[in-house]
Amino acid sequence: MRLWLGFAVLALVLWGITGVTQKLSTNRISSERSFLWFCWAMVALSVSVLAVAHPHWGLARMVVLCSIAGGALNGLGAWTSFRALESGGKASVVISLISLYPLLTVVLAVLLLGERLSVMQSAGAVTAIVAAILLSIETSEKKREVA
Amino acid sequence: MTETHRPRRIPVWLAWSIATIGLWGSWGLVSKIASAGLDAYVNQLLYTAGLAPLMVFVAITVHKHRSEERSKAHYSGIFWAFLTGILGGIGNIAFFEAMVKGGKASVVAPVTALFPMVTVLLALIFLRERLGRTQWLGLALAFVAIYLLSA
Repeated sequence: MRLWLGFAVLALVLWGITGVTQKLSTNRISSERSFLWFCWAMVALSVSVLAVAHPHWGLARMVVLCSIAGGALNGLGAWTSFRALESGGKASVVISLISLYPLLTVVLAVLLLGERLSVMQSAGAVTAIVAAILLSIETSEKKREVA
Repeated sequence: MTETHRPRRIPVWLAWSIATIGLWGSWGLVSKIASAGLDAYVNQLLYTAGLAPLMVFVAITVHKHRSEERSKAHYSGIFWAFLTGILGGIGNIAFFEAMVKGGKASVVAPVTALFPMVTVLLALIFLRERLGRTQWLGLALAFVAIYLLSA
């Protein structure tokens, strides 16, 4: 297995587990409070990361700005997804729609970074998005059944 | 009453959903650009700095509504939220590392977006939830997608 793929799968597994832990949290406290403690954990982790990270002052401004923007974009994305669910959107529709986000990354990476995908990888990207949507639809239906 | 409310061109929930796609979709792009000059750990450090303003905003909101009962369930909810943050943060580091090690944003983003498959598998194994046909199909397609994307 290629090294990058191993790390991507590790991210997938860890984020997948958070799907369960987040539900366990929001079953007990509000989504805002849950998000706040999620952020505190990020701060704690980042302080721990200082032990192994080696930041230096010669970093290019562009990469630093992109990295900081990354935190803001991802956090705001979580916040807007909560808003979408709280403003009357059906969970099955909202979550399926949001699952389209990698499509935008693919388009932006091809247009702005000049990345090229093979035919197999293009088919894989489309399959991945369809799979994510199918998984979301069923999960939401199940939640509705429980409710 | 309806006369005073102009019909909205786009429902609010749809606007928030589209905003989410825009924000998360762009995150993959900026993460790839950042990974060209930063290691995954420094990236996570700066990522948290970017998260800070929103954290302050949410903290103010939570502070205004601090009437929640300090029950056992409350602290248990905080524990799970904290664990979500730790696992999510380590997941971020792995995501950044995938890009540092040469993974394209256009491939890493679709692979990692398959994370609901793990949630579903965990529910199947530990919660003994029954999967519907759509879910089985989604799970099967997820494995096919990873195979195709790794080609």
